[in-house]
Amino acid sequence: MPGSAKEPLPSPETGRMAEVARPRLRLWRVPAVVPPADDALRVLAEHTGTATMRHWAAVAAFAHDLVRRGRVIPQLVLAPAPERDANRTGDEMAMWAAPEDDARAVWRPVLTGADAAYFRDLALAMPPACRTSSTERPSTEVQLEALEAFTDALVRRTLTEPLLTRPPRTLQERWLAALTGPPPTGVGGACPDVPELRRELERWYAAVAASEGATRVCFRLLEPAEGDDWRVELALQAADDPSLYVPAAQVWGGVTGLPGRPERELLTGLGRAVRLYPELDRALRVPEPSELVLDTAGAFGFLRQAAPLLQAAGFGVQLPRWAGRTRLGLKLTTRTRKQQSAAAGQGFGMRELVDFRVDLAVGDETISEAELAELARLKVPLVRVRGQWVELDDRQLKAALRAVEGGRAGAASAAEILRQVVQSDDEELPLLEIDADGVLGDLLSGQAERRLTPLATPPGLDATLRPYQERGLAWLSFLSGLGLGGVLADDMGLGKTITTLALLVHERTAAPGSHTPERAGAPAPAGEAAVPVPDDGVGPTLLVCPMSLIGNWQREAARFAPGLRVYVHHGSGRDAAGIAEADLVITTYGTAQRDLETLKQYQWRRVVCDEAQAIKNSGTLQAQAVRAIPTGTRLALTGTPVENHLAELWSIMEFANPGLLGPRSRFRTRFQEPIEARQDEQAATALKRATGPFILRRLKTDKSIISDLPEKLEVKEWCPLTTEQATLYQAVVDDMLAKIDSSEGIERRGLVLSAMAKLKQVCNHPAHLLKDGSRLAGRSGKLARLEQLSEEILAEGEKALLFTQYAEFGAMLQPYLAQRLDRPVLWLHGGLPKKTRDRLVDRFQQDPEPALFVLSLKAAGVGLNLTAANHVVHVDRWWNPAVEDQATDRAFRIGQRKNVQVRKLICAGTLEERVDQMIERKKALAERVVGTGEDWLTDLSTEELREVFRLTAEGVG
Amino acid sequence: MAWFAASGPIRVEGGIKARSQRGSIGSAWWSRRFIDILERVCDKGRLSRGRAYARKGQVLSIELAAGEVTAAVQGSRPDPYEVVVRIEAYGEERWAAIEEEIAAQAVYRARLLAGEMPEEIEELFAALGADLFPRDLDMHCSCPDWGFPCKHLSAVLYLLAESFDDDPFLVLAWRGRTKEQLLGSLAEERGADPLRVADVPFADRLADFYAPGATAHRPERRPVAVAPDLLLRVFPPPGELESALTPAYKGLADA
Repeated sequence: MPGSAKEPLPSPETGRMAEVARPRLRLWRVPAVVPPADDALRVLAEHTGTATMRHWAAVAAFAHDLVRRGRVIPQLVLAPAPERDANRTGDEMAMWAAPEDDARAVWRPVLTGADAAYFRDLALAMPPACRTSSTERPSTEVQLEALEAFTDALVRRTLTEPLLTRPPRTLQERWLAALTGPPPTGVGGACPDVPELRRELERWYAAVAASEGATRVCFRLLEPAEGDDWRVELALQAADDPSLYVPAAQVWGGVTGLPGRPERELLTGLGRAVRLYPELDRALRVPEPSELVLDTAGAFGFLRQAAPLLQAAGFGVQLPRWAGRTRLGLKLTTRTRKQQSAAAGQGFGMRELVDFRVDLAVGDETISEAELAELARLKVPLVRVRGQWVELDDRQLKAALRAVEGGRAGAASAAEILRQVVQSDDEELPLLEIDADGVLGDLLSGQAERRLTPLATPPGLDATLRPYQERGLAWLSFLSGLGLGGVLADDMGLGKTITTLALLVHERTAAPGSHTPERAGAPAPAGEAAVPVPDDGVGPTLLVCPMSLIGNWQREAARFAPGLRVYVHHGSGRDAAGIAEADLVITTYGTAQRDLETLKQYQWRRVVCDEAQAIKNSGTLQAQAVRAIPTGTRLALTGTPVENHLAELWSIMEFANPGLLGPRSRFRTRFQEPIEARQDEQAATALKRATGPFILRRLKTDKSIISDLPEKLEVKEWCPLTTEQATLYQAVVDDMLAKIDSSEGIERRGLVLSAMAKLKQVCNHPAHLLKDGSRLAGRSGKLARLEQLSEEILAEGEKALLFTQYAEFGAMLQPYLAQRLDRPVLWLHGGLPKKTRDRLVDRFQQDPEPALFVLSLKAAGVGLNLTAANHVVHVDRWWNPAVEDQATDRAFRIGQRKNVQVRKLICAGTLEERVDQMIERKKALAERVVGTGEDWLTDLSTEELREVFRLTAEGVG
Repeated sequence: MAWFAASGPIRVEGGIKARSQRGSIGSAWWSRRFIDILERVCDKGRLSRGRAYARKGQVLSIELAAGEVTAAVQGSRPDPYEVVVRIEAYGEERWAAIEEEIAAQAVYRARLLAGEMPEEIEELFAALGADLFPRDLDMHCSCPDWGFPCKHLSAVLYLLAESFDDDPFLVLAWRGRTKEQLLGSLAEERGADPLRVADVPFADRLADFYAPGATAHRPERRPVAVAPDLLLRVFPPPGELESALTPAYKGLADA
């Protein structure tokens, strides 16, 4: 292990800094705990605080995955004899101790193909500390040992029933008996039969292990050009590079570029496959088989039976694009009854009647009843309808025949049609196409945002909306005009806050009283208990957000929508009286839950949930509380891609449009399970149709957005202080001001700088000032915000640079974030040799996995090229714009292909906010005066300092 | 005859033992073909003694060459008995014809490589006027037992059948063609360890000794709708283990 002359290098995750600049490798005797594998698994499931633990947890998860898929084989192994053990030195000790016995029954993992590749990936990622001993043990060896121990323990944990119901008599039976239950797993005593059984089992293992070598056999179903000559093309595919696909004909030709021995692997694979798919035998009746010819019924059999079986057995299977998608379905056509304008739902209500008709459709084509009858008569499961192949089964045909008998046409309200479309969940006859006109068409298309006329920046909004924000505003206004709730899920940085503020301003400037929006689907007003609200025909909006965002909303509202009357309903001094006077009431999820009864008494125009992930769990009290507040419409804001988290999606939609997606259980069986477990495309399409009208998610990478965005976007994020931070902050201010007041000259300058440093540290984290290695979670508003931001960035698959000017804070951040976010967090500071820095930078730039890079401002401010990141966060401030900009330019420089978002974290109500204001007020001046340091602040008078340092209560959460 | 029954064979350490410890021996159909011949001509008592010999490990060695299997079996006398089982090994000319037929249909090589004797191969031999499986076995044992075939012969045949289970190529080898001769370069076994990675020396990792290495990708692991006993179905385990292990594999889905 590397270390100083005194001791081995401490892990940075212990919170101790290395005291030696250039550690050297030495042998150390260190205490070690060698837990049985089962205990190790339990520990790893709960504690993954360090990188090494996380690595072993990943290995354990891998073992679990292998076991669940049945990629294990029971073996009989010889444990080292005890007398040999006595001579073993420490370095030969297994990391995961197994009880000694002569011959033991164990479950070993089978690592082939993609599993072998993942094993290598994991081994490459293994922290060196995982394989320390008196020599550098190879990571493969160490990891395999652990994986085998975990696999065995997991199988034993799973198999609770013995495999043998009677007392074992033979060796084989003793072995079977020893395959379940806790260790010791010996088969008992020295038995002369052991070598034989062991050989047999090893041969079995070898046959399985050899089965998936460098390549795998592939089957590709090709549809006939005409007639019904289907073909299954036989081919080989490289295991580690599926794009290397070589048809069998070429394999026999001998030139493949494939690793291993392709001919043998092709033959062996076919020999195995024929057991699963006997029809394949026909293709193997030639010396060099290359394809299997099938008729249509055979092709259907391949699609439905053979393909899933072969795929599950590890063969490659490629099907035509249409396979697995039911193409027979319904087409819905609706027509509005009278002249209507599509603009913003003006004059159109969800109760209005529209005419509708339902037709049978195949793909994009509708088919007549006669055509359907003809298909039914053919009685073949695969038919070609106007050039497209369609899988038909009996159930579907019957459903289709029933559907046309009903002759579905008539009139219904727009709300009813909407509900029908959203809740259409006929798996046999899915809704394939919708042709609707007017407002309903805009809504159902899921493209309303593009179809609607953008709404220009409303007067009264102190900003200019970008084109995509104008479209977003039109969409929000359109939905709320119809009384429908929406989910604005734009990428972070696209301005969900300002778009929401624009909506509020727009509502108040768009000629109040000229039209009252209909509220179909909205819950009934709260009744006689409703407290009157300002009579401007609009009503207040209640905004619920996490505590860390209150300051942000408050400041953004004041800056961009100064005309809005904002009331923050939060903190111990909150008073419901403020609500009646406000246009926008800001509160937290916690307060909303506590003050639910109060909030329920108002008739809200709208309830907005920011960071709506907070209500992702529909059963929580918070989620129930926000749903219980009566309101005209609802709006959820979230930056995470909701479509990837289906349980969350349901919960958020249940908030936005209660009941629209149907009950939770139905949602789970209809959408969640098919999509998550089987990647069912049909269910995914149906879900998209159901939710599309209500979710607006634009990505920074969208072509239409990217041209609207500035290349570099700078925003400030205001964070609250925790009570602990505020108390500490106040104590430092009192102490330091007294000292500064009674000093002068150089001493005074030193004291001012030291006071500022201490206050900045408090703003970062109490543990940063105290340097006591205490716990980090839940004690700093800034850290909470940083965590939230990082989570969003990583969830979008992007990378960020986090700058701090304090090396000790960076050293605290790195392990903390790595653990909380479970993603790579790199840490670069001045103490690292050049070689290591280069490697870190290289890794950050090359690795495709989203990652964070914590950097010390001094060590990384210049020179480095970190264009893989498109987010920069200044965790604490160096009050010198030039220095910050230089750091920002690590990401924003030649080679950067994305727009860069720069965030500066500022603790509200503290010196951070005030100094920021000073810089903003006289940026030009500051750049001249300030030079490169922060010294300019030392010239302020004590009174001025008092003003700068002063803590205003509003910042405290 | 009491003296004969009471003496019993001399115990053997490290002899070849039948894996199947109860019931019949030799489970694959191609192995049964040899056992059937034996069981047709041998009386029940000798058969069961032969099985007992095979299970106890009385057979010291078995060697298989073209046309001839030779074995040494430890009986009750100090010197092991010599057992020879002969079948006709085909000559070059006939094998050339057989090989041509085998090569003509990939299914034979494919199934053999996958560890299975293709059923129709018997007909393939027959069409060329040859037998894959012998109609009779030419068996000799040096023991003084007057009964035929003796328990030593049965023990050897039982063990032979078990090895045919695992490697059907051995049947062909007995007839005069080894796996290597039949498959040429296809017979070679595999090479490098697919799990091995190149480690970065500790000396280059001093500064980030506790940190993950170059790649720490989390796998995008999708839940696979897979039967956990699939491995067992595609790769049958040796002997009669399949039925014993199937419930275990099915249970793994709950892990």
